[in-house]
Amino acid sequence: MSVSDDIGTPRGASIVRSPAALRKRDGRVGRVPLFAYAAVAPTLLIVLAVVGVPLAYSLYLSLHRTNPITKTFIYVGFDNYASLAGNADFAAALGRTAYFAAFSVAGTTVLGLAMALLLNERFFGRGVLRSMVLVPWAMAPVSVGVLWSFIYAGNFGALTGLLNDLGLGGWALPWLGDGFRALNLVALTNVWSQAPLTALMLLAGLQSMPGSLHKAAMLDGAGPVARFFAITLPWLKPNLLFISIIATINSLMAFDILWIMTRGGPGAATTVLSWLGYLTSFQFLRFGQGAAILYCLTALSFVLAIAYFAILGPRRSRPGARPVPPTVDGGVPGARTLAPMAVLPPPRVRPRLPRPVALGLARGGFAIAVLALVLWSALPVLALILMSLTPASDLIRTPATVVPSGLTLQNFQTVLMPSSSGGFSTSVQAQRVPLALINSIVVGACVSLVCIVLGTFAGYAFARHGRSRFFAVSLWGLLLTRMTPGLTLVLPFFIIYRGFGLIDTRTGLIIAYCSFLLPLSAWMMRSYFEGVPVSLDRAALIDGCSRVRMMWSVLLPVVRPGVIAAAIFCFLASWNEFLFALILTSTPNAQTIPVVISGFLSQAQFYEYGPMFAASVLSILPPVLVAFFFQRFLVQGALSGAVKG
Amino acid sequence: MTSITIETVSKSYGAMPVLKGLDIDIRDGEFVSFLGPSGCGKSTLLFCIAGIEAISAGRILFDGQDVSRLAPRDRNIALVFQDYALYPHMAVRDNLAFPLRQQKLGPDVVRRQVDWAAGLLGLEALLDRMPAELSGGQRQRVAVGRAIVRNPAALLMDEPLSNLDASLRVRTRTEIKRLQRELRTTVAFVTHDQEEAMVLSDRVAVMNAGVLQQFAEPMTIYRQPANLFVAGFIGSPQMNFLPGDGAPGGHGAGRLIGVRPFDLVPAGGGPGDGFALTGELALIEPAGPVHYLDVDVGGRMVKATCVDPSGLQPGAALTLTAPRHTLHLFDASSGLRLAS
Ligand SMILES: Nc1ncnc2c1ncn2[C@@H]1O[C@H](COP(=O)(O)OP(=O)(O)OP(=O)(O)O)[C@@H](O)[C@H]1O
Ligand SMILES: [Mg+2]
Repeated sequence: MSVSDDIGTPRGASIVRSPAALRKRDGRVGRVPLFAYAAVAPTLLIVLAVVGVPLAYSLYLSLHRTNPITKTFIYVGFDNYASLAGNADFAAALGRTAYFAAFSVAGTTVLGLAMALLLNERFFGRGVLRSMVLVPWAMAPVSVGVLWSFIYAGNFGALTGLLNDLGLGGWALPWLGDGFRALNLVALTNVWSQAPLTALMLLAGLQSMPGSLHKAAMLDGAGPVARFFAITLPWLKPNLLFISIIATINSLMAFDILWIMTRGGPGAATTVLSWLGYLTSFQFLRFGQGAAILYCLTALSFVLAIAYFAILGPRRSRPGARPVPPTVDGGVPGARTLAPMAVLPPPRVRPRLPRPVALGLARGGFAIAVLALVLWSALPVLALILMSLTPASDLIRTPATVVPSGLTLQNFQTVLMPSSSGGFSTSVQAQRVPLALINSIVVGACVSLVCIVLGTFAGYAFARHGRSRFFAVSLWGLLLTRMTPGLTLVLPFFIIYRGFGLIDTRTGLIIAYCSFLLPLSAWMMRSYFEGVPVSLDRAALIDGCSRVRMMWSVLLPVVRPGVIAAAIFCFLASWNEFLFALILTSTPNAQTIPVVISGFLSQAQFYEYGPMFAASVLSILPPVLVAFFFQRFLVQGALSGAVKG
Repeated sequence: MTSITIETVSKSYGAMPVLKGLDIDIRDGEFVSFLGPSGCGKSTLLFCIAGIEAISAGRILFDGQDVSRLAPRDRNIALVFQDYALYPHMAVRDNLAFPLRQQKLGPDVVRRQVDWAAGLLGLEALLDRMPAELSGGQRQRVAVGRAIVRNPAALLMDEPLSNLDASLRVRTRTEIKRLQRELRTTVAFVTHDQEEAMVLSDRVAVMNAGVLQQFAEPMTIYRQPANLFVAGFIGSPQMNFLPGDGAPGGHGAGRLIGVRPFDLVPAGGGPGDGFALTGELALIEPAGPVHYLDVDVGGRMVKATCVDPSGLQPGAALTLTAPRHTLHLFDASSGLRLAS
């Protein structure tokens, strides 16, 4: 690679310098250049200002009792926390949270591992299947919730309909009607939408495994199962550590699908801590106690993260084994008395199926697994598309059936061209869809642009100067902000935004999302820059580039895949975000598509199912396109390990 | 401890043929090297012998038994990989014990055998280290240890020395040779490095583009290369090739004369009986024990050697001679060696 070709400046440009300039240069050798500080400054300032203040404010809230009517704050110390100890609702919610999280983490890990192992094999159509598998994760939790609540819906839901069509109507149940069953089904839905993320990250780990390890183990006599446990699992251990931490945080903080699917019910059967915190804060307006509940959630994720580190963390070296310096390889064993060779029994002859039979069985099993994966990932999404093309009246037929009476684009017409939809009176909610789509696109585009520009610079500085104290501390600070649940921040955000007149503006949403996603993009870019040799920077500087020019002409082209990956992750996260959009907007002006979809549910008009599914299909369109066209970049992004959401 | 017979073995990846009808017969206890340029299919051949890759045509026999359809673990073969493929999460001891544990041997036997291999390779002090804590040479020894610990029928090595520095490489190859003598194992050894192949092997198989070029004792390959490829590939600096019609001595058109630089010396400095060339000395390159002379013979650069360059002047005319029996004669169109 010729660095100097990429740069317009002639080589000699940096040679002629005044002695003063040279002296100045000398003084900087070995220290962190000013450029690095300038590169991280915007990211740090934005995150500090936009997340730091609400964080402090919500901590402050959790130490007070508030009266929303008189607007008085009474300092109560840790009373809010102490009162939770004896609170039966809290204890029950804690138990449900533990169950929900355990179910989700176990489910996503096992399923994600299976998916990753399948998708790591070479077979025809692997690329398409990889994309297909990603769709449930890429689509918004709100759309996931809408889809699965209709599948499970009592009398007219798709699952009941399918059973009816298969003549198994007797098996139909009020799926979400029973408390414990509802909790399990919501957790299963969570697994459905989160397992692809685990699979993605494990796939990245599998791809970094040298192929020779498995070949060596094969020759050493290990069969497929022994190889999985002796080679693959230990290799994935560092990934599994990260994955289980992320999966745990994600399931502890799960909120969107609960909001859509059960709203904590029936009764309190699905009231987990995040929902209880939401209720306490926003229904009962006990902000102090709500914040305290949510901070318990944060504390729980910290404790669990530490526990995972203890269990899965890097193995400590055995005492006495470490301090031996690498010996010089002179110790050629010569006239030493050797231990005698053990007498080995002749190699075992395993009873085996004839190879063609064994191969056939393996192929068949593999094909079945692939087919199951296709059905698991694609069938529900196809059902959503089918429902959006079904006449609205079909969707509430009883007895339910999944066979539509006909296909129509009416639903899409209703939401996309509200005025022209003839005799139908378009509902208020449906009229909001076009603007919501535009809002989502504008917000997503602005957020990803800001995040990749600032995140690239910050990631560069973190990668090159991560050793220096300032950068190490601020990097961990950034990551910690990603461990706090959005629910704790949303109330202070609301209050502060009201003060600044940012409620109901796209600008407000963009600022909020940037502050969450900048740490993510900075982290991803840092990982990417760490793979770029420092000599490239040096070559550019020696060739006379300024540092900005070095970034632009030399490094940016090299890290472009990483930039694309970061942009995709930021766009998806902002497109799919629900909670902040819900709280920080109240009129259609700035409402994004997840909010409008959720509005269909609040509006509770049965015949609106059609337009709601049409809106949902439109909302998953960009994530699906991303999954299909940028799947390669998503795997790359997962390699950088720190993906959340 | 087993002989390996490769019968018209072919292998292709998709539509691309990598091995084309190889016939190689490795005797029991023999040390054979596969030598060839990068990408010629050496690793692929080893993988086929080990059973990691299935062959597309032909047969592989161990001691006369067809093993082509056996799974790798049923062939009782060990392979040392170019990157060693040590299990990164296992200490050296566990790496060595892994193949034994897979055979469900008792802990007692495993410990004794690990101690034996560690003693043989001087690994006793390293048994509790992780692979990441070892130097390149130490890793190489662990990899060899893991390969021999279960007493395999044959030992395959894929460029096991290419990651070592020059001096360590020379030392290690002596050790490998010693080990092979002691264990009397059949060894198939892949290398890029012709010197390594010549020093180590009982016989060398030279390959190019998936085709076997010559399979013979090292000095036979050096002295009687079977074709132009082998003649050019073996020996450094490369053999000089001169058209038969232009050269003195009248070997005739359609033939090429090959002469190694070490056989070509300034006239008067050696036994100048038969073959002689005259040209203009272009360059003298000192190379330790000898000096290389670049001589321009009618627009063609010819490399020769001399021990004492004093009295030679670049730019001056120089006559080179070579003993007649050192000349190699090739058919220009087929590339095959002609009996001279
Ligand atoms: N899994 C594979 N799929 C497709 N082609 C392959 C595969 N493995 C190797 N090849 C091709 O087969 C040819 C031979 O490869 P091989 O690794 O055997 O070469 P080699 O002689 O060992 O080379 P080197 O000395 O560089 O290791 C090469 O052209 C290579 O590109
Ligand atoms: Mg190779």
